[in-house]
Amino acid sequence: MASIHLSGLTKFYGKRRGVEDVSLEVADQEFLTVFGPAGAGKTTTLNLIAGIVTPDGGSIRIGEKTVDALEPADRNVAMVFESYALYPQFTVYQNMAFPLRSPKHRLPTAEVEQRVRHFATMLKIDHLLDRPIQALSNGQRQRTALGRALVRRPDVFLMDEPLSHLDAKLRHSMRAELKEMRGQLGTTTIYVTHDYLEAMSLGDRVAVINQGRILQVGRPEEVYFRPATVEVAQLFGDPEINLVEAKIRGRQASSVRVHALGEEWSFPITPEIGSALDKLTGDSVRLGFRPVDVEVGANGKSSLHGVVYSFEPLGTKSVLTIDSVAGQRIRALVDGRRTFQVDRRIEFGVPGSSVIFFDPESTRYLVRSTRTEGDD
Amino acid sequence: MAELTLKTLTKVYPQVQTPAVDQLNLAVRDGEFIALLGPSGCGKSTTLRMIAGLESVTAGEIRIGQKLVNGLHPKDRGVGLAFENYALYPPLKVRDNLAFNLRAHGLGAKEIVRRVDEIARTLQIQELLDLKPAALSSGQKQRVNMARAMVRRPSVLLLDEPLSHLDARLRVELRTEIKRLHAEQRFTTIIVTHDQLEAMALADRIAVMNEGKLQQFDTPLEVFNHPANEFVAGFLGEPPMNIFRTVVDSGRLVIPDAEFALPITSGVQKLVGSRKELKLGIRPWGIRVSQTQTTASVPGQVTVVEDLGDETRVGVRYGEILIMSSIPVTRRYRPGLPVYLSFNDEDLNLFDSVTGERLSENGLGSSQPTHETVEKNEIQAPITR
Repeated sequence: MASIHLSGLTKFYGKRRGVEDVSLEVADQEFLTVFGPAGAGKTTTLNLIAGIVTPDGGSIRIGEKTVDALEPADRNVAMVFESYALYPQFTVYQNMAFPLRSPKHRLPTAEVEQRVRHFATMLKIDHLLDRPIQALSNGQRQRTALGRALVRRPDVFLMDEPLSHLDAKLRHSMRAELKEMRGQLGTTTIYVTHDYLEAMSLGDRVAVINQGRILQVGRPEEVYFRPATVEVAQLFGDPEINLVEAKIRGRQASSVRVHALGEEWSFPITPEIGSALDKLTGDSVRLGFRPVDVEVGANGKSSLHGVVYSFEPLGTKSVLTIDSVAGQRIRALVDGRRTFQVDRRIEFGVPGSSVIFFDPESTRYLVRSTRTEGDD
Repeated sequence: MAELTLKTLTKVYPQVQTPAVDQLNLAVRDGEFIALLGPSGCGKSTTLRMIAGLESVTAGEIRIGQKLVNGLHPKDRGVGLAFENYALYPPLKVRDNLAFNLRAHGLGAKEIVRRVDEIARTLQIQELLDLKPAALSSGQKQRVNMARAMVRRPSVLLLDEPLSHLDARLRVELRTEIKRLHAEQRFTTIIVTHDQLEAMALADRIAVMNEGKLQQFDTPLEVFNHPANEFVAGFLGEPPMNIFRTVVDSGRLVIPDAEFALPITSGVQKLVGSRKELKLGIRPWGIRVSQTQTTASVPGQVTVVEDLGDETRVGVRYGEILIMSSIPVTRRYRPGLPVYLSFNDEDLNLFDSVTGERLSENGLGSSQPTHETVEKNEIQAPITR
């Protein structure tokens, strides 16, 4: 069991930046997800911790021990990759027992057996121990790969997109089961993924990374509801968050009037938002609101007008794309039982409590209403 | 544009026992958008290639309009084929990309100009004609790609996984664009995809295929809400439907060796009949999670909670089975909490435990989505369009 401390980690591949000045603290037994798009520097970070890649600068501590000079095998970290890297002709048992038979980690046979069975039961593959890998489904292979990493009882788990090449259906159920098991593992884990649902579901905290730099580290609801920048906001959610340039036209104690999307409209604000807006130098602000928060239909609260550009049913929800008066397209996620016809005029609105304010110049987070995050 | 009819269309490859496509019947209406949906190897691409004439037909008929096209050369069938997006020639202007196929087919220069202008007008890409592909936005590229497939005035437009290799953001954007184009043009279109969201979003009707056989052919909502069998139920929907085996025991559906026992209502009993066991399917959104017990609720304990921003998923384990529900955002649930699950009859999908077939033609109770509202909110506000 151990905490992990990364300070100022930097790695360039020639001129290309792998990661730059990455500093992170992972607490003992914490599960940290590292989330970002392809090429963000996620795997480089993992490889640096594992010792597979040598940093240009910075330092890594695991527990109280600085590991910069240690060989990968001496760092007591276990990696789980996207490709399972199992021995196909071996059985599940042989694959899981393999790390415990290496010269470095050799254990007595009885203890090997006890450990393999313990983790096989946890992973629900105890009935498969005598099967060769070739005879397993993808989900079972993934469990075996996890099991092989678990039996070593490492200080640290490093997981590199372990679910990413399962099909979508299996990914959802494996993610839930992995989360269900998390409590029993109790091992400090860094889990790399490009899937925001995985990052949010599994992580105690999420480190958002792009182009080799950490953009934000926070609890899942922090990165989702209070994204540090516009870029972070865009990385979470499907369809993507709506972003709108607005001019502030007037403000009362509890509401603000803006010109945006070609119309003037107002919505209620909290005192916190008010004082944040007071600090703005100009009258420009960028508004972000998620498709799920857009209210469609003449329900009294709507004050914006548009024309249906496209309507895409997805089952329980549907995506409605609206041409606003200004021409900018807005996406709304609506109840799957409603239907909309293309080219029809509609009203829509955005509740003040769901608007995120960003600085239009720096694109940094300014403020949002505190009445969010699912508080009961 | 024209209708398209497939009659017992079959493809058998040499040395392969099972047909790649097995007696497929499909009647596509003029102007309709159809998705062929299924996992890899289900026969959807083979079907498309047979329609296009790129693959020989073992048995059966393909008719475009009234005309049997089985023996016709691909270029004589009147089909336009658009593969993956961005298959545009980078050094050529949009105009020349569009003209390329027409030149290859020996059309006169004047006619080519006329056709290119016509399709550019139709798809509203006139201002792009003198640009090169690199200068186009992704949405514009999609339009040009479609224009190129349509410039020969096909009767049927065939799209082969046009979005599958794009990143998520672009895929959503271009999906919207294709949908919009179809709403504008109403060309008869067949798309092949393995992405159930894409099929749902785009198609008027979805043909779900598995192992060469048609599983169900119906509107997206019907396929989603009333899947014909266990395969369709499991293939559509994300997160996936919970599907698990139950046995009938003293008027209840029971998960063997677990605490799950759901009282059978009279409506459900009609479908269960004398069966001793069946598969129960429930979508994550069809589950109510509560801390209050009711007569028909199933007690359980939360084992996993996923906070996903605007949605919370709560898992309750019954032995081998982890039942996942999807509920509005709430912080109320934590692992270890005792809860009660309850379900409306119309959210229960019952499948035969052997054949996997749905236990009713019309589903349970209401045969339609609970209510369907067509927006009629015409307004007087000024619209600048």
